[in-house]
Amino acid sequence: MAASAQPAPVRATEPVRRTKKAREKSNKMGYVFVAPLVIGVLAFAIYPMFAALYLSFNQTSGAALNGKWVGWSNYRYALHDPIFWKSLYNTIYMGIFSVALGIVVSFVLASMINSVKWVKGKNMFKGIFFLPNVISAVATTLLFSFLFFPTKQGVINFVLGTVHIDPVGWFTDPRFSRISIVLMSLWGALGYNTIIFIAGLQSVPRDLYEAAEVDGAAGLKKWWYITIPYMRPIFVFMIVMGTIGSMKRFTDVWLIGGTAGNPSGTLLTSVLYIYRNAFLAGQMGLATAASYLLFIVILILTVLLLRLNRKKDSFD
Amino acid sequence: MPAIAIKTSSKRRQEAAVQWTLITLLAVGSLVMIVPLIWMISTSFDWAARLELGFPPRFWPLDPSLKNYRAAFTNVPMLKYIGNSLLVAAGVIVVSIFSALLSGYALSKIRFRGSNLVLMLALSTMMIPFEMTMIPQYLLFSKLNLIDTYWVFYLPALNYAFGTFLAKAFIDQLPSSLREAAVIDGAGEFTAFGKIYLPLCAPIVATMVILLFIGVWNELLWPLLALKSSAKYTIQLGLAMFTYNSGINKLPSIIMAATTVSLLPVVIVYLFLQRYIIESIALTGIKQ
Repeated sequence: MAASAQPAPVRATEPVRRTKKAREKSNKMGYVFVAPLVIGVLAFAIYPMFAALYLSFNQTSGAALNGKWVGWSNYRYALHDPIFWKSLYNTIYMGIFSVALGIVVSFVLASMINSVKWVKGKNMFKGIFFLPNVISAVATTLLFSFLFFPTKQGVINFVLGTVHIDPVGWFTDPRFSRISIVLMSLWGALGYNTIIFIAGLQSVPRDLYEAAEVDGAAGLKKWWYITIPYMRPIFVFMIVMGTIGSMKRFTDVWLIGGTAGNPSGTLLTSVLYIYRNAFLAGQMGLATAASYLLFIVILILTVLLLRLNRKKDSFD
Repeated sequence: MPAIAIKTSSKRRQEAAVQWTLITLLAVGSLVMIVPLIWMISTSFDWAARLELGFPPRFWPLDPSLKNYRAAFTNVPMLKYIGNSLLVAAGVIVVSIFSALLSGYALSKIRFRGSNLVLMLALSTMMIPFEMTMIPQYLLFSKLNLIDTYWVFYLPALNYAFGTFLAKAFIDQLPSSLREAAVIDGAGEFTAFGKIYLPLCAPIVATMVILLFIGVWNELLWPLLALKSSAKYTIQLGLAMFTYNSGINKLPSIIMAATTVSLLPVVIVYLFLQRYIIESIALTGIKQ
């Protein structure tokens, strides 16, 4: 410590002072340049996080930034509210199906597109499958509200009718409503997953395949024993991203089922629960408590998924 | 010799069969993806389906007409909403990119005290879901009396940590010697940034413009919370409120006409920049 704190030799004083001055100037300019970002992060990410935490311990009425301190009572209320649990159940239910289906279908699709040798066709398929991804949730929902029309006039029900299946109340029958949402969002999200998987598939080293070929593996065997294990980090990334995304489901279920999550509350999701408590009932405290609970659920799921991956790694 | 020739030709034939099977399956899949959009466009021109869906479903209008579009534009003030959305998108794009480039440059080239802290702070807040912070943000803006103004979009655009990350990674690849030379010549930091690095940043700016435009254009939840008067609605909110109030799956062809118009801008952008967009998605992993 003492040695390093020794003053510099006399001859070096001049340049050292200059660089020190320059560094101070650099520091100052650095702060000026990052100021917009830092202000944005502090005002619209850090502050709201703490404000939400504070609010969740308050009983508020209407759009007030503060209220009466009530301790854990908002959390207790939410955790004893069957509607909270129902909304969480619906969210996770739709989440599991859309993540599982989305990953399996898009991985198979990506593998198929990646194996096509006709370059023009390859790009065309990528372009077509990705197209719905740029279409808004509002437009997708409006379109599918007609495709999934509950009578035989609906396109999908008409197709089913040709094989003598009675019309299905896709969005109106509580037995099917959640799965219909999953199928609709599969159409919208498939392209994104596929593009990421294709990028991953292209990163699998060629020599791994060559080695497998020497051992006599071909086609699907190579896919099963080399491609899929090699892609595991990408699968984990996709599962985590998909899980986080589906925990935030709002637009489609709100448009289809309103704030009640019709039919029969099957489309009531966690974000819808937060939304209706905050903006219909004016219970900002309860809503922020619910949002913290949702955040904790997301955090736990993420950590579990990442740990699952790590455990498998050490097992290997 | 002949045995080998036969073997390779049969192998080649087998490979060709695999290729044709793949292409056929993918073509069928593509059709499934496209059919909903074809049906949407066809229905949007079908005056016979203005009140109720036709039976059997058809892919060519029974009564082809542009009247649905006229009805859509008179019932839903589409032009107004599109103009509003363009205004919001332009403001958000300018503010976001301004913040991202300046901070990305500083974090990459000006090594100032605390730059690592700033980077960590920005990146870790990317993980915070918007749904968690939307209520305090709403309350903050209502306290500032800015609810129902477009400041609710422009101000939070400063917090574009993902853009900072992209810009920093991009500027990291540009040589630092350019800045050092400029500074020795007596140029200020702003000159070095604006005259030397900014023009080189065009590709990353283009990526951010496209991703931001698609994201802002398609956003619903925040406009739904923060905009109150219908004259200020964005396109998604306007369309959603119209159908929410008149009941979903009513007025098929008029709603499909309005929906078609609402997705034209992003689809046009997509058709022109398709490969570029797909590449940046694959590279950055961002999802709108």
